[in-house]
Amino acid sequence: MNATQGKFPDKSPDPGRWLDDHGDYLFKYAVFRLRDNTAAEDAVQETFLAALKAHKEFEGRASERTWLVGILKHKVVDHFRRATREAPLGEESDEGPEHREFFERPDPWQGHWNTDYAPNEWHATPAELIERNDFWKVFNDCLSPLPQRTASAFTLREVDGLKSEEICEMLSIKVNNLWVMLHRARLHLRNCLELNWFRPE
Amino acid sequence: MALKLYDKLKHSIRYWLLRTLPTCQQTVEKISESMERSLSLQERINLKLHLWICVWCQWYLEHLQIIRQTARAKADEPPEIISSPGLSNEARERIRRRLTNQN
Repeated sequence: MNATQGKFPDKSPDPGRWLDDHGDYLFKYAVFRLRDNTAAEDAVQETFLAALKAHKEFEGRASERTWLVGILKHKVVDHFRRATREAPLGEESDEGPEHREFFERPDPWQGHWNTDYAPNEWHATPAELIERNDFWKVFNDCLSPLPQRTASAFTLREVDGLKSEEICEMLSIKVNNLWVMLHRARLHLRNCLELNWFRPE
Repeated sequence: MALKLYDKLKHSIRYWLLRTLPTCQQTVEKISESMERSLSLQERINLKLHLWICVWCQWYLEHLQIIRQTARAKADEPPEIISSPGLSNEARERIRRRLTNQN
């Protein structure tokens, strides 16, 4: 039973139904980017509250879910801004593992790929990977050992395609910081994906 | 005979380049930066030469591009299949109460 049902005639908003229909989707969307359950729950709640205020602007041109995701995106940005204001990145910031062992070798070739970690040919195209249902699960699991901010920056850049400047502004970091974070995340993730997908034995 | 000489020459050039150019460790950092900004001419030349002789770094670049293309193509999809279980009952009820009070 939906407590709010019948309370609103026709075009009135029905937040109870929104919650049932889209709550989990929005939560997963948010937690994937924020990497924090409480923050994601707050972002979902704020999204519905904003949607209640703004529902007159929703003219049904987009689907209800697309409309709510659009609001949620702003709430995710707000969260990062607030979080970085409250706890700015310190001097001793952790950008993630350097993975120096990937390039440890006996002397003359020090700094070149160690064969235990060197990339292998994947024999896969993006089109094939897109079909894989476990893509996000593996992607997400591989990112989880990284520092929260590095994983978030990487997701905003590689999944959402935000510009470097936008991410720097959201996380209040310098662009050089961001490049280090992205590089470390890529080094880590590429290796982890290869181990999980292309070398199952 | 000529072929053998060519192979030897190629091998020496490759060896010499590997000793002269930035290492793989430095190159993968450049590869990542090349996805964020345009590299200087010097950086581009070093990168091209390194990629010419190093298949590992070639694959590294290819894999980063595959990851980016796949992730962006699936950007609207993650929530449905990610392992996270969704809103907890407690959070759901809290949000529901908050929304009902709003009316």
